[in-house]
Parts: sequence; C-alpha cells; structure tokens
Amino acid sequence: MRSFRHVRATTVAEACALLAEPGTRARANAGGSDLLGALKDGIYPEPPDLLVDLKTIPGLDAIEADEAGLRVGALARLADIARSEPIRAHWPIFSQAAQAVASPQIRNVATLGGNLCQEVRCWYFRYPAGLGGSIDCLRKGGPRCPAVKGDTRYHAIFEGRGCFAVCPSDTAVALAALDAIVVLEGPGGARRELPVQDVYTPLGTVLEPGELVTAVRVPPPAEEARSAFLKFTVREPIDFAVVSVAASITLRDGVCTDARLVLGAVGPRPYRALEAEARLIGGPIDERAAVEAAEVALAGAKPLRGNAYKVPLARSIVMRAILAALEG
Amino acid sequence: MAAGYRHIGKATERADARDIVTGRTRYLSDLEVPRMLYGRVLRSPHAHARILSIDTSAARALPGVEAVLTHADAPDWRVGTPRVVRVLDSTVRFAGDSVALVAATTEAAAERALELIEVEYEPLPAVLTMDEALAPGAPEIFPEAPGNVVSAGTPWFGPECLTGVRMGDVERGFAEADAVAEGVCGYENIPNPLPAEPPGVIAHWEEPNKATLWVSSQAAYQDKVVLFFAFGRQVDVRTIGGPCGGSFGSKLMSVQLALQATALSRAAGRPVRLVMSKEEHMAAFVLRIGSRIKAKVGMKRDGTVTAVAGDWLVDTGYYSMTTQAQVAVGCGEAQLVVRSPNWDLRSTIVCTNRTASGIVRGFGGQELKCSILPVVSRVMAELDIDPFDFFKKNYVKPGDGYFWRDGQWYTYRGIDYTTAMDAGAAAFGWKDRWRGWLQPSAVHGTVRTGVGVGVHGNVDIGESVSEAWVRLDPHGAAVIYSAASEHGTGQPSNLIKMVAEVLQLPLDRVTMTPADSAITPFEFGPVGSRGTWAMGGASIAAAEDARRKLLERAAPTLGRDPGDLDTCDGLVFPVDSPENAIRWNAVIGREGSVMGEGRFDPDFTLANCMMTFVEVAVDSDTGKVDLRRVVNATDAGTIIDPPGLENQLNGSLGSAGIDSALFEETVYDPATGRVLNANMIDYKWRTFAELPDMKNVVLETPVDSHRFRAIGVGEVATAPGPSAVLMAVSNALGMWMDEYPVTPERVLAALGKVPARGRGAGGTAAAATDSDDLAAGADR
Repeated sequence: MRSFRHVRATTVAEACALLAEPGTRARANAGGSDLLGALKDGIYPEPPDLLVDLKTIPGLDAIEADEAGLRVGALARLADIARSEPIRAHWPIFSQAAQAVASPQIRNVATLGGNLCQEVRCWYFRYPAGLGGSIDCLRKGGPRCPAVKGDTRYHAIFEGRGCFAVCPSDTAVALAALDAIVVLEGPGGARRELPVQDVYTPLGTVLEPGELVTAVRVPPPAEEARSAFLKFTVREPIDFAVVSVAASITLRDGVCTDARLVLGAVGPRPYRALEAEARLIGGPIDERAAVEAAEVALAGAKPLRGNAYKVPLARSIVMRAILAALEG
Repeated sequence: MAAGYRHIGKATERADARDIVTGRTRYLSDLEVPRMLYGRVLRSPHAHARILSIDTSAARALPGVEAVLTHADAPDWRVGTPRVVRVLDSTVRFAGDSVALVAATTEAAAERALELIEVEYEPLPAVLTMDEALAPGAPEIFPEAPGNVVSAGTPWFGPECLTGVRMGDVERGFAEADAVAEGVCGYENIPNPLPAEPPGVIAHWEEPNKATLWVSSQAAYQDKVVLFFAFGRQVDVRTIGGPCGGSFGSKLMSVQLALQATALSRAAGRPVRLVMSKEEHMAAFVLRIGSRIKAKVGMKRDGTVTAVAGDWLVDTGYYSMTTQAQVAVGCGEAQLVVRSPNWDLRSTIVCTNRTASGIVRGFGGQELKCSILPVVSRVMAELDIDPFDFFKKNYVKPGDGYFWRDGQWYTYRGIDYTTAMDAGAAAFGWKDRWRGWLQPSAVHGTVRTGVGVGVHGNVDIGESVSEAWVRLDPHGAAVIYSAASEHGTGQPSNLIKMVAEVLQLPLDRVTMTPADSAITPFEFGPVGSRGTWAMGGASIAAAEDARRKLLERAAPTLGRDPGDLDTCDGLVFPVDSPENAIRWNAVIGREGSVMGEGRFDPDFTLANCMMTFVEVAVDSDTGKVDLRRVVNATDAGTIIDPPGLENQLNGSLGSAGIDSALFEETVYDPATGRVLNANMIDYKWRTFAELPDMKNVVLETPVDSHRFRAIGVGEVATAPGPSAVLMAVSNALGMWMDEYPVTPERVLAALGKVPARGRGAGGTAAAATDSDDLAAGADR
C-alpha cells in the first residue's frame, strides 16, 4: 500500500475543504472497512495521497426520530442502525438491511455513509495490483469495460451503461423503498438533497470533489405500510447480494393504495420497478398479484451473456418480498 | 474403546493448544532472522507471453533495495514433473507468473521497487482450458509437453507407476452386463484448499553451497529432499519446520517459493523472507487439479460391475510437481470403490495457461471419484440399485486385490467396513429417506429435498518411509526426534501420546524436537492419512527400542531378566515386585541417555474408508442449494485423540471438500486467464455461522496396523462428499446434474429457466445480449 497523508477532520466544513484541496487525490474515510481493503489491494492506478478521517467530526453519528421522520447521521454505524429501537419499530427494513451487511465485526465499524458510498464489487474493478497489475477499466477512466466479454455472473441486468457493476449497498435499497433523501454537503457550505437512488450513476456517484454524504432523512411511514427486505446471497454471512428486494406496500381495506418495489444488486443504482408498483396499486395483494408484479418488474431486464439466471432469480425474490411484506 | 490405555483414546490437551489460542505461537511471518530482507515477486498480467525486455535500473536504485533478479540473472534451478519450471523464465505461462524478484530492507521498499520495474511483453496465444490446449495446432506451453500433454508417471513411484487401470477384457464385460451407461462428467472448478496461513519461507544462503530454509510446510523434511534435486544436487540443504498454519496438502512444500527466496538470498548475501499475500496464495500458488472423464460402465442387476472403461483428462495448470502421483493414487483408489474384473481406464495430463496444480487432500482420488461416480450412478439408476447397497457391496473387502500407485498388485488384509457403513446409514436414516433415483425425499412448495451418498478410501495410510528416534533422559523424560511438523491436525501431539503410552510416562514428560533436518531423521510427512500408522509406527518402534535398551541396562542392577521388567513414570521395576523399583537415572546414570531408533517401511495392504451421507434442500425458484445434513461414517481401528478426529471429520465441509460441490471454485476471466475471485468475499468459503447438522459415526474395530491397532482417516474426509451432493441435488430436482459446483445458475438452467451454457463455461457460450453493443455503451 502506498503511504498517504492522514488528517483528522473536526468539522464537515474542514473535511470538505480538505477533500477539495487542489492537486491532491483525497478520499474520505470513516469505518475504513471498504477503503482500506481497496488501498491494500492497490486497485487504483492513482492511489489517494490524502485520507480525511471523518470519525473525529462530533455529532455526525446521531440517530433522531420524531413526527417529522428519521434523520441518521452519516457516521452512524450499521450495528447502531440495526439495533435502533425507533428504526426497528417504524422503518424495520432499514434496520434489516443494515443487519444484512457483512459480519458483526464489520457492522461495528462500518458507517451508513460508507455503506452508501462504498466502491462497487465488480471483480475486474477490484482486481488486485499484486497479480500482474490492477485493471484500468472504464469506471477508473480506462478505455473499456473488461466485464462485458468476461464473467458477469454478479453484474447488472438493468440500467448498465458502459459499466455493468452493480450498486453493492444494502441500505440504499431499503432507503429507496422508504423514499429516503440523502443530504450532501460540499465546500463553502454547499448543501443539496437527493433521493437515494439519484446519488448513483452508471460510472460512480454524483458527488462532486469535496462533497460528502452527511445524513439521510426518511419520511414518517404511512400508517398502514407493511414492508420486507430480502437479500439473496451465495453464502449466508459476509456476502454481497446477488439480488435484494425491498418492498413497501400500503393496504387499505384489503386494497393496495401505494407500493414501493426496489431491487438491489441488479443495476448501478437501487432499481425502482415503477410499472410493477403501478400494477399492484388498486387491487388486492395475493399470490397471483405478486407473481404478476414480479413478471412486470423483470420484463425490462437486459442480462449480459453471463447473468441471465439473475432474471428468474430476481423475479422470485420480488414475488417473495411482496408476500413477505404482507406478513410484515 | 481404548480400554486399559492411559492416554490413547482420551481427550487430552494438545501440546501446542495454549500457545496457539493465546497468540504465543510464532508462525513463519513472525520469525525474524538477523539481517533479514523482505522479498517480493513481480507477477505477469498475461496468461502467456514472452518477455522482450525488463528494465530494473530504477528499482535497483531505490534506497533499501538489495537485490533484483530477472530471468537473465536467476540461477537455473528447476522444479516440476518433468523438471521444466525455472526460478524465473523468459516466458510467462499464467496470469500471475513470476517475472522478477526483489529483496529490500523493508516490505514497503520491496513493494515500491516492483512498481518501478518496466517490462515489455510479447503476448502469446494462451490455452486456458483443456479443450483449447488439446485442439489441433494449439499453442504449446512447454517444448517438453508436445501437444500440451505432460509425460505420464513419476519416478517417485518407480518405473511401473500407475497411469490407468487395465485388466481383463472390457468388451466381454460390457457384453455380460445387464445395463451399460456412458457419460462425461467433470470436476473442473479447481477449488483452493486455502489454509489460513499463506505460503512463506525464509532462506539463508551461505557461500559456496549451503542453504538453510525456515519453512512453513506440512512436511518440512520433504523440502530438503525435493530442494536437493531442484538445486541440481549441488547444494547442502537444511530445512527447519515450524508451526504451519494449515495446509490440507497444498503446503506439503513450497518449492518454487523456496527456490526464489534462496536465489534472492544468494544475490543479496543476506537472509530473505518471502511470504505470499493472500491474493498470491489464492491465484499464484497451487490449486486442485481439474478432472473430466468420458466413461462407460457395465453392471449386473445385483450391483456387480462387469467393466469400467474411461478416458480421464487431468488439467494440471501450467505445471505441477505431483499430478502424475495424483493420477496414480486416484487410479488405485477407484479400484477400492468399484470392484470390477475388467478395466480400461486411461489418463492424459494436460497443461494449460492457468495457476499451477498442487497437492490437495483427496489427492487424485477425490477428483476421479467426483468425475466417474456420476456415470456409475447412471447405470445404478437404470437397474434401480440403491447407491448405498452398491457401495457396501463393492467397497474393498479382505482378500480383494488392487493395483496400487507403484503398479504392483496388493491383497487387502484390513477390516470389512460394512459395519461402519451400516452404522452411518442408520444414523442418517438412509433407508427412510432414499426414494429411488431422481426422486426427491420430500417436496414442500418450491423446496425439494434430496439425499446422496459417496464413499472413498486410501491405501496411502501405509505409504513411504518414516523414521524417528526416542531419547530417554535420566530424570524420567523422553524426547522424540521427528520432523513431524504441526500443520493443524495435532499429529505431533498424537505421536507424543503414543510414545508416552509405550513408555508409561505422563504426557508432559514427552516432548518433540523441532522439525530441523539437521537434528531429526527422515520423515516423509503427514500425508494420505499416514500419520497414525506410518509416522506413529516409527515413533512407537523408536519408543519400544528405547524401552528395550533401558530394560536391558537395568537387568543386571535388578538381577532379573529384561523380560521380567517393566517401566512406568520414570521407574524400572520387576513386574512381580514393583516395590523394588529404581529410577531411570540409576539405570542411565546422571551423564548419558538411551536412544531408540524406529522406522516404518511402506505397506500397501491396508486401507481406510469414509462414507458420507448428505441431505440437500434445493429451492426450485431461486436455484439455491442448501446443505442440510451430513453424516460421515468411518472406522478408525482405535481412536487416538477423539476431539482431533472429530475436527478432522468436521473439516470435510471446507478446504476444497464438500463445499466444492456447492460454492467453492476458482473463477478465471475467460478472456485473459486472470483469477477474478482471489479474495475471501468472492471466493465463497463457508463460515462458522452457516454449518449444517453434522454427525460423525466412528467405529473402533481393531485393525492389524501397529500396537494400538489404529489407522488414520483425516485426509479422506473431504473426498466422498462432493459427488454425494451432486447425487442429492440430482435426486431433489429429478434430473441429472453433472457439473460442480451446483450454483443457482446451473440449477435454474437444469430446470429450463435460463439457457444452459457450455461445459466449464465461465461466462462464454450462449449470448443473451450482444456484448459489443454493451461495450460501446448503448443505451439500455
């Protein structure tokens, strides 16, 4: 691993200023569970020369819930989110998604901001320098994506463009189903708010140099909303999703009045199956409705040549998530 | 049940347990030798390329760099069977092959120096699969392997080394059969046994020709022997083994690494430590051999096999020391499981531009079984024969014979394992759960349950030579001189138990020397489950020899015949009057010791046996296969150490074992031959949070081995499981599965929910979408 400068920021403004310093390749670091591994593997052709530690910024780990909804600081640890009483009571799929990440040891250091902003798991992007040099793929500014002619078993079936890595965040999927808003702060006090799925682009995120995720806001849950988060992995613990689904369904008098169906690990961002949501609204939710909605959800999938299996797999998980939400 | 023994069969504390769990054990990467440098290897991005030029000037100029080696200045030491792989070569033969070596005063300087080396390559066409390697006109990897076929047989096993099984008349056998099946099945996912500790070595060269190596090996003495030949018989080699953080066969020796570290030490004039990173361990060390067979099997209605014919293709990667040996042992082991008078099994070893192959527990037999048993299953299914009954009928019985690895015919004189198999079947509930071929045991919604069974055994429990000495010290203690380095199984502790039992000493009065070839006699090492019988036999013989000498020396003092005397707790006494005991120091004197010598010579007339029953649940919607239950059944003769044995059998899951049928596999990029999953996230590896219901049934039927009537079973624990899983999944789904691992994709493809891809396809074959469109970033 190349050596780098390490600065402990004490305010968001200081951190943003450091990250935007001209002439440096700065990276923000919180729990370090993703970044340090990437640096040790040498995956970046131009590795960062400055790490800005965010853990020393006071108050950025708060979890606050009231009538206006939920506000979670970017430094809140996944373990704290998973066991937070208000989150478990009112936004349970957020808690479940946090709990679905990695292992207890990692959840004890990994933060919400880090989970949202972690690098993709594409094994071409992650190829380590020590085995003949890292791969300068399209996502790193290189000429092409080696995955399209390679092994794509874990790659995108929706919305891939140039790069086919999928968003690896579990919390982003649950948050998208909860209509969550991500708060971004940048140099000079700049601040903007975006729906969580709009943070991601096919080649990365919309974050500008010096910009940080500082918090996530979640609106209060609809009174009769029921939800479920399902994550399909090859191995149970310490694994990334092959497909995940967050479903949130509002039922009034047995009729669906609102629905969110968000698929994870199928595209560069949490993928909202809008047509499937529309199909659910206005009718009763039963197995047939769930099967139909799942069909619609995957109708537009465009698998690569190595991941066609993800389509029927995702269809099953969508169907199960809808039915699990009814139980929830 | 070990009745009457003081230590044998008791759950005694392992000699090194406290040091390991309190972090005091010093593994190789904890060792520091004075003036030691740190080595690093620059690795190739290409699967096959010629090196046109290497500029090392910037690396050499970096402060702290003491030596840089390329193919131009590395010594011409060679490894492999045949001996074709150099320390460094002008051609690279897999993505990850060694290109240059650096030794520096710090790890950071060594790593930085690698970045400063400029290499110009001329990429050559690569052969990444056996099909590509065997295609007419395929590019050749070594001139010594024309057509990419590696020479058969290993000098290690003698001039008649087994390369197949040929006996009787298969055509007549097929004609006599009630049913014949033909098929192709492969076990080609080349899993990595992945011991926790990566391979490493510290080498210290002293002019003119002395090399001292600290190794982290399963068989420390073997490094000395193999390196002696690799160095062209010109170097005086001393190897010092220490605690080895797991091996599963793969770290029997780390020869190429040892040669590279020695070359660096010679160039730098200082000791060099060379330890692989985890990525290197996963992609650039050794993997299991790949195996595929086209087989034809004939059988009678009663389960009698009339003929077996087959062409066995073995993918050895770009090189191996031991593939020929694995082929020989695999062919021997096949005859233990399938008893037939007519055989025509042939093997072809193919080299490909992928990572080298090495030793992995199962050693040829697991690979061959996993490939051929699914074909044998087809015939059983046609005749509606229960596979448990088939294995019970066919597994080697006293009086049966087989060709073993040296090409010689041996007659089995061990125990009948039928009783152990029955006990395993009862514990599993086989008769209740077996519903017939391609019949699920139960169906609940989308979840289909299926059962399978496999069996394996090995005659190498009595292979090769072990030597040990036991020294008795006057104060009532004993020291075992043995190169039995600890590699995780507890074998040194078991040898201590055996010697303490012979000498009737408390366990803490028996110790073992370091596995230092300057101290100990020859030891082949704990492989093929030979630790209990072969290594134990040598230590027992040494202890008995020392005891005999002690009693002979005590006889005049006590005025009795040696045969009337016994020893216990450092005392010698007449058996009929123990009150007349004298201390060992009254026999040996204050100055002196008694040394006993022991030796074990190869014996290929006993075999161990492991039967594994599995139950899987397959979700027909998601394709997920869950391993629900495992029952292992064996007979160990006498159990030396119950918890150690239990752990060995529980180890049947991972380390390229049962899980190699479920999710363990090495994934290669089909375009470049690079290993894509050289990390512990993408290389799927079971954690302790996800264990199936597991039960080990171990009988103790005394076997005619050594005085404790025990044999080893550790090595074989992984071997019967993978084919049992494939059988169970086939039964759960009601259709034949014949590829490992049974991923969700393969299950969904079998169910017709996605298009099937070609055999061994890692992302090639049928295209769902045209990739060139995607590369261009077309809006999707």
